Amino acid sequence: MLFVLLTVAAAAPAPAADAILRRADRAVLGETAAYTLQMTVIRPGKPDRVVEMKGWKKGDALGLVRYTAPAKERGTAYLRNGANTWLYLPSAEKVVRVGAKQNFGGGDFSNADIFRLSLVDDYVPTLAGEETWEGQPCYRLDLKAKDRSVAYDRVVYRVRSDGTFFPVHAEYYTISGRRLKWLTLDEVARLGGRARPTRLTMESALDQATRTVLRFLAVDDDVTLDDRIFTPSALERGE
Amino acid sequence: MKLLAVVELGRAVVAPPRPPARRAEVNSSLLAAVALALVPAVAAAASRQVEIGVENLYYRTTESPLNRGNLLGLDRNEDLLRGTLLWRETRGRARGVFRGLVEQRIGGQDRTEWRAREAYVQYGFGEAVTVRAGRQRIAWGSGFAWNPTNRLEPARNPLNTGLEQQGADAVRIDIIPAAWAGLIVVAARSRTGVSDLPFANEGTERRTAALRARFLVRETDVAAVVSGGRNQRTLVGLDVARTLVGQVTAHVEASTYRGAEMPPARADQRFVRVAAGLLYPRGEHTSWTIEYFFNGEGYGDEARDAWLGQLEGSVGEAYAAAATVPYSGGLGLRRHYVQGSWARSVIGGRWTTALRAVFGASDGGLALTPGIVYAPRGDLTLHLDAIVPLGPDDSEYRLAPVRAAVQARVRALF
Repeated sequence: MLFVLLTVAAAAPAPAADAILRRADRAVLGETAAYTLQMTVIRPGKPDRVVEMKGWKKGDALGLVRYTAPAKERGTAYLRNGANTWLYLPSAEKVVRVGAKQNFGGGDFSNADIFRLSLVDDYVPTLAGEETWEGQPCYRLDLKAKDRSVAYDRVVYRVRSDGTFFPVHAEYYTISGRRLKWLTLDEVARLGGRARPTRLTMESALDQATRTVLRFLAVDDDVTLDDRIFTPSALERGE
Repeated sequence: MKLLAVVELGRAVVAPPRPPARRAEVNSSLLAAVALALVPAVAAAASRQVEIGVENLYYRTTESPLNRGNLLGLDRNEDLLRGTLLWRETRGRARGVFRGLVEQRIGGQDRTEWRAREAYVQYGFGEAVTVRAGRQRIAWGSGFAWNPTNRLEPARNPLNTGLEQQGADAVRIDIIPAAWAGLIVVAARSRTGVSDLPFANEGTERRTAALRARFLVRETDVAAVVSGGRNQRTLVGLDVARTLVGQVTAHVEASTYRGAEMPPARADQRFVRVAAGLLYPRGEHTSWTIEYFFNGEGYGDEARDAWLGQLEGSVGEAYAAAATVPYSGGLGLRRHYVQGSWARSVIGGRWTTALRAVFGASDGGLALTPGIVYAPRGDLTLHLDAIVPLGPDDSEYRLAPVRAAVQARVRALF
């Protein structure tokens, strides 16, 4: 019976590109989630910069991240609401509007990367084929930005085709076709009641010795979040 | 944390002068309230942040048109040596904050005093309503160096916005009716005087009621402000901010009111103040800001000369009050200003260097504020800033008695 099921699965046609992308979008974090994250910025010849933060997301539009360590950066917070991003500076007790394409916390991720882990709303996906990536069978998706406001013009996205739909690799291209950076998702582990990639490593094409690593330390996909926590007013209120 | 550095440096400094016994009473009652509020929280704190620090603000002073015959009684070298403490405790929806200092003045007037920059308690009723009471920063307005819609707090000094600002004694209620709207209602009491400077000025007491309604409209922050009260003008303000292209964000903060804040009163005239600027974080480590400020009630050359002439005839407290008008007004003596800043962090964020400049376009005055921050560990920071006023002798920054300043701060966080 198992053999029959595996044979049927192997022979089944690949899902549509947008279905793959939708499943991959939810493989790391659920529709609504609260999480704890550690970010390590690695630069050659310089000490690693390690920051810990708590984050909340609701759908693809609303996201909030508050730094919890180190002490000197504690209280700093980023808020995303649709195309809008704000930064809260605890020392100035002030909220400042910042751009979505700006580097997040001085690393290789942009604000858009952090708050827009979901790609389905910003890109039109095309299934470019199937391939083996790092020993894993994958779908290869070609994502084209829907408009110029999106952080990258094109993304080559690889998603496991073994039924888990875990994303494993993404390459980001500028409008001129230059590969800007790439993301590796690995260290699949059980976190928050289910398996998911827990380490995201962004590397820059400009300097291959630099990279930024995001590691999920805790995730809760089953939280209820009021939209009002994703407002500049709530940001000023503090942790 | 490049942005942090930039905006900190864009923050205001000038705070109020010294002493009164009455202020000490206010401080004591605020402290008692905060201490009482914190007692249960200390027992089972969910989050606590403690910071201790040492500050030394050194000023080189001189006789000048705003210190005629050294009426302010300044030594050539004036020092403000301070020990500082921050205690922030959060327990559930409640929070208590104390930020205070003990200051030893060394110079023309040697004395020791302490004061609370902030001492408040806050409680959130769900996500919709938050109430905060006590001495606190209000910090509203999108402007980096000037906030023409904020007349609630003691004045800021745009020459070094990195120093911590004195709060106002206030009750503030934040209401969030929907994700796209917010309302802030504040009743505040503060003095217009100046601190962090080597000379004292009490200023006058303001009592203010203010309302700020904030909306997110078509990817744009829009805020309308109304404020008024005792010893001040009633103002109406508008504050708009949005992302322009890529990483560049822009803001315009403006207010209008009838009657001047600086002498003469010009009670029948309507004035406008506007701060408009851009923030441009470039790459991973560098950011730039530029901001233009129009002070509608600021003096032209003739009005400036008339004002200086008036000072010639005044002495004592009246003179000291007039001499600090550029500071206690908080927004400058003249009409046109441009502020620019650059900040860059290096070596994993351990070093941040910055340069700020405020240019008085009306008189050619220039104030340079280079600074450096060193953070050898995640819980220790060292700040070193200098202020250098340049320009013609009759320009605003050269009229003032401060010729140079070096401001050093060390902070340890727990």
